[in-house]
Amino acid sequence: MGVQIYIHTSQFPLTNGKEVVEVEGNTVRKCLENLIGKYPKMEKGLFEKKGKLHPFVEIYINMETAYPDELSKPVKDGDKIHIILMLAGG
Amino acid sequence: MLTKSEQERYNRQIMIQEIGEEGQEKIKRAKILIAGVGGLGSPVAINLAAAGVGVIRLVDHDRVDLSNLNRQVLHWAKDIGRKKVDSALEKLRELNPDIKITAIEKTIDESTVSQIVDDSDLIVDAMDNLATRYLLNKCAIEKNIPFFHGAVQGFEGRAMTVIPGKSACLSCMYRGPVPAETFPVIGVAPAVIGAIQATEVIKFIVGSGSLLTNRLLVYDGLKMEFNEFKVRRNPECEQCGHLILKE
Repeated sequence: MGVQIYIHTSQFPLTNGKEVVEVEGNTVRKCLENLIGKYPKMEKGLFEKKGKLHPFVEIYINMETAYPDELSKPVKDGDKIHIILMLAGG
Repeated sequence: MLTKSEQERYNRQIMIQEIGEEGQEKIKRAKILIAGVGGLGSPVAINLAAAGVGVIRLVDHDRVDLSNLNRQVLHWAKDIGRKKVDSALEKLRELNPDIKITAIEKTIDESTVSQIVDDSDLIVDAMDNLATRYLLNKCAIEKNIPFFHGAVQGFEGRAMTVIPGKSACLSCMYRGPVPAETFPVIGVAPAVIGAIQATEVIKFIVGSGSLLTNRLLVYDGLKMEFNEFKVRRNPECEQCGHLILKE
C-alpha cells in the first residue's frame, strides 16, 4: 500500500482522467516526482520551475495543510495527499 | 427593538431557536461590507438583505456586462451598462426597504481599502481576484474585523472564515502572487458559496454554530462533494503573525 494522491478535478486531463493515483514515496516531493513519472503532464500542472510549486497549488496531507515547505513533509504508506488549486473567481 | 412589521417579516427565522428575537435584533444592528457585487456578491447580498442585516455597504467599480448575466443574479438584461452598485442597490432596496443599503463605486486598492471598510462590523470577500482578497484580509486583520472568504471557478468553490487573532487568515498560507485571469464559472457555483458565506455571517452575528475557522471548505459541484481541510495559523504570516506573538 502506497500513498494516495487525490488529483484536483481540473487536472484530471493531465492524469488521463484518473482521480486518485497511488505512488510510493516517503516525502511529498518524492510522491509528486513519482506521480509525474506516471503522468508527465502533471509536471507543468504542479511546478513553475524545477522544485518550486506553482503559487496556486496547495498540498494537504490527510486533510491538513502541508504549508509551509510542503515538498519536504514526510508521508508514509496509507497517507492521502490532496492537490488543491487556489480559486480566484467571484 | 423590532417593529411589528419586522417581527412579521422575519417570523420564520425568529422561530429558529438559535436566532429568536434577540438574534434578529443583532442582525438588525449589524453593519456589513460586501466587497464585490458580482457572482458571489449577488447571493451574499440577497440573502443578507432578506435576513434583515441592518446596514449593508456594497462596493464595486464595475459596470454590468452581458457576460455577467449567467451568474450575477442581481443584474438583469435591462442593467447592461449600468454601474453594478446602482443595479444591486435598486434590487436590494425593493427586496427589503426596511434596511439601510449604501453603495460605493470605487476600486479597492491600498489607498482606498481602509476608507471603504471604514467602521464595518464584518467584511464579506466577494472579489474576483486574489490580490484584492489579500488586501481586504490585511485590512480586516489591522482593524480586527471578521472576514468571510469565498472564491469560485468552474463548478467549484471554497470558503473560509477569518477571525483576526483567533484563526488562520488568507495570508497564513500565502505562496506568492497568482496572476489575475478571466475565469470560467457557472452561476450555480457562486450561488452555493455565496449562500455559505451568508450563513457564516448570520451565525457569527447571532453567535451560534461552528464557524469555518481554521477549516477550508472546498466544494466540487461536479462530484457533488464537500471536503474540509484543516488549516493553521502561521506565526510567520506577514499579515497576522504578530497577533500570535502577542499571545
